[in-house]
Amino acid sequence: MMFWARKIHRWASLLIGLQVLIWIVSGLAFNVMDKNKASGNTYRQTFIVTKPAIAESKLLPVEKILQAHPDTIELRRTNILSAPYYLLTHKKGLYRHFANSYHLVNAVTGKLTLINEQLAVDIAKASYSGAGDVDAITLLMPPIADFPKQQNPNWQINFADDLSTSVYVEQGSGRLVGHSNSDKRFADFFYMLHFMDYGSAGHFNSIQIMLFAFVTLWLSLSGLIWTINMFSKGKYRLKRREN
Amino acid sequence: MLFIGSQFVIWSITGAYMVFFDIDYIHGDSLVITHQNTIKPENLTYPSQALFQQYPDAKNLSVGLLVNREVYRFNNLGQQLTIDARTGELLSPLDKNNAIAIAKHAFSGDSEIINVEIITHNPPFEIRSRHLPVWRIDFDHFQSPTLYIATNSGIVVTKRHDFWRLFDWMFRFHIMEYGGESDVSNWLLFIMTLFALLAALSGLVLTYVKMIKPLIFSSKNRQNNAKKSILLANGEQS
Repeated sequence: MMFWARKIHRWASLLIGLQVLIWIVSGLAFNVMDKNKASGNTYRQTFIVTKPAIAESKLLPVEKILQAHPDTIELRRTNILSAPYYLLTHKKGLYRHFANSYHLVNAVTGKLTLINEQLAVDIAKASYSGAGDVDAITLLMPPIADFPKQQNPNWQINFADDLSTSVYVEQGSGRLVGHSNSDKRFADFFYMLHFMDYGSAGHFNSIQIMLFAFVTLWLSLSGLIWTINMFSKGKYRLKRREN
Repeated sequence: MLFIGSQFVIWSITGAYMVFFDIDYIHGDSLVITHQNTIKPENLTYPSQALFQQYPDAKNLSVGLLVNREVYRFNNLGQQLTIDARTGELLSPLDKNNAIAIAKHAFSGDSEIINVEIITHNPPFEIRSRHLPVWRIDFDHFQSPTLYIATNSGIVVTKRHDFWRLFDWMFRFHIMEYGGESDVSNWLLFIMTLFALLAALSGLVLTYVKMIKPLIFSSKNRQNNAKKSILLANGEQS
């Protein structure tokens, strides 16, 4: 038994020893990192917008909108900046970041609206408190490195500031998906190491981490047996035994 | 190792649990169906203008389906209300029978409901207080699935099953958070991680000394022996 425990322990350590070190170092990084910085929201602010001047009862009635768009699962009132809109869901995912399909209808004019480049930039700017100017606007299809769970197309608006802030606006709904910056990307690097998520799938159920976790179980359990054995033999003593 | 070893065992067991079970399964995504039924505009026989007359402060009006009936949901003086879009009948707060009907409609399995209760305050760990008040609907299944349905909107706000409940415990043990909030920045974890770092480094030194060095040397010896035997063989020939 002890012979096998030692043998397993040595071979397992040879296979995964470095990864164990990476797990501990990245785990330590999560423990000590500044979570506010790592959230990527250094330059994020709540939208500064004036409320729509028009009373909700004076907007186009929802019946009219639904008659014009019969294949709607859900209709919601929403604001894009200061303007009132109806957000119609035509394909509903379990979560917002799952694949969804929307129409945006102007609640005053009834016109179908697309979140174009200009609107996306305006939304991004309204959420941004930093000093940088917009220096790139790109329409990105998933997967998106900064938000790997998001399964819908997004506008990426990059700001030229000290943290390389990127703001993501969902193309279908105009929803602000979030901010990311160099601090968050640095933290994400440790998540990648800890989860062994080298393909940036955004989760920790990959085959490589399962294999390593399996060997780690053998490493730690054989170590446990070894330790118990040494303890029962009296190897752990504060004083050296007099021989 | 006597000191840090048990934590290594905990880390490896809890970590293995978390990576082996698919996270979407853990989150109970397979417990519920996201229905794609569409609103029939002709069913909105209670006009929205009548709604605004009856509730002049109504805000954030939305139209959706509650099981198979069209409903208006809106905010009225800080309270979420749900009314039938055919008749204008006030449906919220939902009664027990409606809550059961919604739960059966949303649940993907065919297990029976074994427990229904309303939670208005002191929520259990698995439900956030901002979702209150909710109906808690438990199903008879070995995973003990639970759906939580907001009484004001009829929306399934969250779901749980035992694999997720166990996952939460695994996570707390993994980050050594034995208090209330799940916070990875705690002192206990910091100190243990430092010791773990020392232990892992010394383990790696041992791996080098006991495993890597002997492997290199034995292969070198083998090569040397091979060379010697070739030399010897050559020597015999000449």
